[in-house]
Parts: sequence; structure tokens; C-alpha cells
Amino acid sequence: MSDLSAAPASSAPPASAMRRAWMAVLARTPRAELEAALQRALQGAPLPAYDWLRPPETGLAMVRGRVGGTGDAFNLGEATVTRATLRLREPAAAAPVGVACHLGRDRRRAELAAIADALLQLPQQHPQLHAQLIEPLAARIAAAREARRQDTADTRVEFFTMVRGD
Amino acid sequence: MNTSTRQAFNDAPLELATLTPGFADPVHDTQAVFRTLLDTLARPGTIRTLAGVLPDSAATHAARPAAARAAYAALLTLCDFSTPVWLAQHDAQLAAALRFHTGAPLVDAPQRAAFAYLHDAHALPALECFALGADDAPETSATLLIRVDALQGGAPLTLRGPGIEHMQNIAPVGLPERFWRERAELAPLFPCGIDCYFVCGDDVLGLPRTTQVELN
Repeated sequence: MSDLSAAPASSAPPASAMRRAWMAVLARTPRAELEAALQRALQGAPLPAYDWLRPPETGLAMVRGRVGGTGDAFNLGEATVTRATLRLREPAAAAPVGVACHLGRDRRRAELAAIADALLQLPQQHPQLHAQLIEPLAARIAAAREARRQDTADTRVEFFTMVRGD
Repeated sequence: MNTSTRQAFNDAPLELATLTPGFADPVHDTQAVFRTLLDTLARPGTIRTLAGVLPDSAATHAARPAAARAAYAALLTLCDFSTPVWLAQHDAQLAAALRFHTGAPLVDAPQRAAFAYLHDAHALPALECFALGADDAPETSATLLIRVDALQGGAPLTLRGPGIEHMQNIAPVGLPERFWRERAELAPLFPCGIDCYFVCGDDVLGLPRTTQVELN
């Protein structure tokens, strides 16, 4: 299994690497948590005004895999994906564009994640939002992954072959 | 634009901050526009309006393509990844919007295009430059969207042919006379040929390959 939240390719500039990391966190967050965390991070302020560039739409994406992560690529199967793109109205000079692409068919979740992505690109909003939205969610995802890894490790069986004495 | 720069453009990241929005409700808006485009081709010479489907970009700060709104709506409706588009006049805003909303590849050779948008009718290349289709696959021909200065008020023309009971008069403004001559020369090649839409603002007029045009 590949680790999708792992550090991105080293060729990407730091800004896009950071954005990729927070988008990976948003893509793994259920809607209720995303909504609550966004409300909390905005401290009761309403969601910013925005225009749709691409309203949320659900479709199929072909998931490709490689045996062992290194073999020839093969088509694993199709996954249901919802994507959305929006542009904030403020600041008008350099309006940030938020993008979301998620497994599943929850349009509202894609909308919230795209808003969060756009807000995180604003320099004045970024530190506070990143601390209140992304970091707790990232910590929760990491904890869940660690618990699962621990569960798996507990039942690990070591296979080995005794060397037969001749 | 030469081939390498066009290819680079098809692959380059899009400038989303100034991208023009597409339809607000893509499923129903494309259905409505498609129906209108079908109607105007089925009744050659009738003028239809594609108003009210595109969001008012004055409300947003998005740059608007210089293209006629009817042409933009038609291209958003008809194009997808399998229909190469040729833009006769360079229009970065329209090109970026088409790439983002439809995924259509842009080509720089008119004969490879399934759809072509000609912002300036006087710079129209010879019609033989476009794909005419083959006898066993006439649907592979090109469809032209030609912007004209006005759809009424020009030199009167008489249309006859399928979809017209007796005759239909049109008078578009701003088309070179050689267009009609070149179009008439393609008539014997039927079922091959080229279908045209004339666009002006929100209005569109269809002229399929089967229509005979008489210059009065």
C-alpha cells in the first residue's frame, strides 16, 4: 500500500508541497469533522463568498496500481470521485482558487474542503487556519494510522525455516 | 502559435485566478444549449438565442473571453476530450476556459479540428482546409463557429433545402463573398461537407451542409 500523505516528489516547490500536504489531510476528513473544524477555525465568522469554477460533480476515476509499488502499472478498478473548484471573491486582486477531489459522492464535503484550501492560501489566514484546522486533523489521522499499525503488528507472525542439519 | 508552443499550452498549468466560469448548472444548461443548436441546424436560417445560460461574469472579477457568448456556450456544450478545437485567432482566455471546462485539446492545424471558432470572418481560411469527412464517415467533418458583425441587415441571401419549406431569407453582415463561393463548391461532395454556425452576441444561426444558398 502506498502512503498517500507521504512527502511529495522532491521536484515540487515548497509552497506546492505544503499545499499538497494539507489537501491530503482534507481529503481524508469526514464531512462532519470538516464542518465543525472549519466553523471553529473561522470563530463564528460566516464562510467567505465565492464563485464556482466547477460546481461539485461526481464521476469515476481509474485507480492504477503497481505490484509491489515498482512493477508494471495495471488498472486496479474505478473509484467514485467528487471534485470541485471555486474562487473566493476577496481579495479581488489575487483571488485564491480552492480545489478539492475526494473519494465518495459527498458534494458538501468537497465544497467545504475547497473553501478550506482557498483560505489556507491567504497569507494572513494561513497560520491560524493551519494550526486550528489542519494540524488537529492531521494528528487524528496519524493517531488512527498508528493504532491500526499497532493492531496489525500485535498479530504479526514471523515465518522462518529451520536450517536442516545434514 | 507553432506546434511546440501549442503543445506546451495544452500541458501547462492553468491560470485559475482569472479563469472564466462555465455553466452554473452544467447538466441542464448543456442540454438546453444543445437543443437550441440542434433546432437551429434543423431549421436552417432561423436565429435562436442562447441567453441566460452563462453566469454574468461582470458580477465576478473574471476576465471574459473576447469571443461571442453564444460561441462560448456552444463550445462548452459540444466539446470534450475527443474533439480537437482550432481557434483561428489567439484568445488565451477562451483557450484556458475550454481546456478547464471541457478538456478539449487545442490544435493548430485546421484540418485536425472537429470544431473551429473564427473570431474574424474575414481571416477565414479556405474551406478545403477543414476536415470534410469521408463518404463512409461524414460525421468526422468540422463544424465552424463563425462570428459575424450582425445576423440581420446585410446583403440578403435565399436558403433552400432540407428543413426549409419553401425558402428562408438571411442577411448576415461581415462575411467575405468568397465564403459562399467556396461553400457552394463543396456541395457536390455530399455527404461530406462542413456545417456552420454564425454567432453574434447571444444569437446563433445554423447553416448545415445540405442548404443551398442563392446570392440575390
